[in-house]
Amino acid sequence: MFSNVLLGFQVALQPMNLFFCFIGVLIGTLVGVLPGLGPVAAMSLLLPSTFHVSPVSAIIMLAGIYYGAMYGGSTTSILVNIPGEAASVVTCLDGYQMARKGRAGPALGIAAFGSFIAGTLSIIGLMFLAPPLAEGALKFGPPEYFCLMLLGLIILTFLAGGSMPKALIMAAFGLFLGLIGMDIMTATPRFNFGLYFLNDGVGLVPVVMGLFGISEVLLNVEAVIKTDVFKTKIKGLLPNLQDWKDSAWPIIRGSVIGFFLGILPGGGAVISSFVSYAVEKKVSRHPEKFGTGVIEGVAGPESANNAATGGAFIPLFTLGIPSNAVTAMLLGALVIYGMQPGPMLISQHPDLFWGAVTSMYIGNIMLLVLNLPLIGLWVKILKIPYPVLFPLILLFCLIGVYSLNNNTGEIGLMLFFGVVGYLMKKFNYEAAPLVLALVLGPMMENALRQALIMSNGGAGIFFTRPISLVIMLVVLTLLVLPLLPWVKKKREIVAEMAEDE
Amino acid sequence: MKNNDQRSSIFWLAAGLAIAVYSGKYGLGTLSSPGPGFLPFLSGLAIAGLALVVFFQQFSKPGREKIKDLWQKKNWPTVLMVLGSLVLYTLLFNFLGFILDTFLLMAFLLRVIEPMSWIKVLAGAIGAAGGSYVIFELWLQAQLPKGFLGF
Repeated sequence: MFSNVLLGFQVALQPMNLFFCFIGVLIGTLVGVLPGLGPVAAMSLLLPSTFHVSPVSAIIMLAGIYYGAMYGGSTTSILVNIPGEAASVVTCLDGYQMARKGRAGPALGIAAFGSFIAGTLSIIGLMFLAPPLAEGALKFGPPEYFCLMLLGLIILTFLAGGSMPKALIMAAFGLFLGLIGMDIMTATPRFNFGLYFLNDGVGLVPVVMGLFGISEVLLNVEAVIKTDVFKTKIKGLLPNLQDWKDSAWPIIRGSVIGFFLGILPGGGAVISSFVSYAVEKKVSRHPEKFGTGVIEGVAGPESANNAATGGAFIPLFTLGIPSNAVTAMLLGALVIYGMQPGPMLISQHPDLFWGAVTSMYIGNIMLLVLNLPLIGLWVKILKIPYPVLFPLILLFCLIGVYSLNNNTGEIGLMLFFGVVGYLMKKFNYEAAPLVLALVLGPMMENALRQALIMSNGGAGIFFTRPISLVIMLVVLTLLVLPLLPWVKKKREIVAEMAEDE
Repeated sequence: MKNNDQRSSIFWLAAGLAIAVYSGKYGLGTLSSPGPGFLPFLSGLAIAGLALVVFFQQFSKPGREKIKDLWQKKNWPTVLMVLGSLVLYTLLFNFLGFILDTFLLMAFLLRVIEPMSWIKVLAGAIGAAGGSYVIFELWLQAQLPKGFLGF
């Protein structure tokens, strides 16, 4: 273990990798600050430009964007009551109130420190848990893999804010999209609608940029948002002793919640921040004060969403299964670089795994240093008027998609999914299950066919092997659970809350 | 039609059935050796089935939900103009070349929401087209197309 960490630092401390780590967290913070451009879109934008560098540097940078965005998202939540990231929605509740009371400084400060502590704790968790889990995963065959991927999709739809059947439709549609293109076993082109570039499959990048980038712009131009930066002098970023006393336990609880929810396939940053807020409110001695600007309401969720990013890397590095849209992007990147994601990844590419993990540690320090003094700059960026900003966002999307394969067909594909995403948001359909299913589609098809060939056509294979049986039981439980009256009621309340926002 | 969920579910019902029917063309195979159309067929069926669930679920919901006009009070002509300009940009990309095409798109977009002064628009469009050319073509070496004018 120790020698591995040492190897990691050797890799991560190379000037080149330090540089990419820095670029990653800087861009991550930037897109976290800018509403309407998230880490998924930013990663897909930069993916083509990483083809020239080594895979380790690329992964270090892409990971940096992910956790950097979690940091940046909190800044806009606190200062302008607009969450830069979905994971920072809860931070608005108390963070913005703190800013209105003139305590923007400590709110931003505790968000940064909490994120740093939680990020660090979850990286330590990742270091200890990932290698043994990867060894265990070697015993998995196609049926287990199929069940696990199914479980990931079902958990994501179960946790989705709105209606579960609608989220499941998105998952099924994403699965279908994932199957478009050449069938690997028979070399039959499927559903290419006469477009030859679709034989390689529907690209992840055009879909993601369409759903997360273009559609967001379309929604914003129809109702030009007027951001109103809270005009307060930000003074005294350092939280005082009382703030620390109030925040210590929320940070620790948030870290643990975030890490374990992050591991769950389909879990992740958004959910964990909500859960952390709920927990803090429950254990608090003054729950009625939540929503009026208490520091616990910022410290807990901000720690949780950062810890979740560390946890989310576990299924990716140990099983090769992404658990959300961001890790799906990373998986796509690994495949492009010619790596075989799966249980063998850590042992075959130790420099990649340990380098990436230790770079996250360094990245967290960079973020802390970057965020506290640079908050003034981020606030200035927030003041760029949207009519100036959106043409640039569109331009980056256009160039990013084109430079992937130098094919205008893919720009068309991106615009198509921009419209799809626009309509999906209008009609309240979630994009995350679609993206995850799109990535899992080909892997699931392979596993399913291999499993069925193994069992000679008996679907029983998914229910007779112990590991897959357990997973299938969880899947069935999650599908049936929303039908129970009291769970149904709770979900409806949550859905209404989400709609009110 | 009771509400917007019911309307959208009809679309998904049709889409799911179309996928399932179309999948048959590629061969479903058998359970012991599933063909290329096997999983697409299942996903189509799942979409159609779930759409039915969404459709009938709406009847058991309390009556306060109604069909909402999702484009009411929205500036949808702007959306169409932005989208149209992007489609045009894509179609003309190889013909006009990156720099000229991008310049025209940026100039249009900068004026479409809030008419800025022409000087600002020109400066912005030249800056965006030139700047992105330097970053992506010269620095990152993306191969952006040259148009009929040779740049």
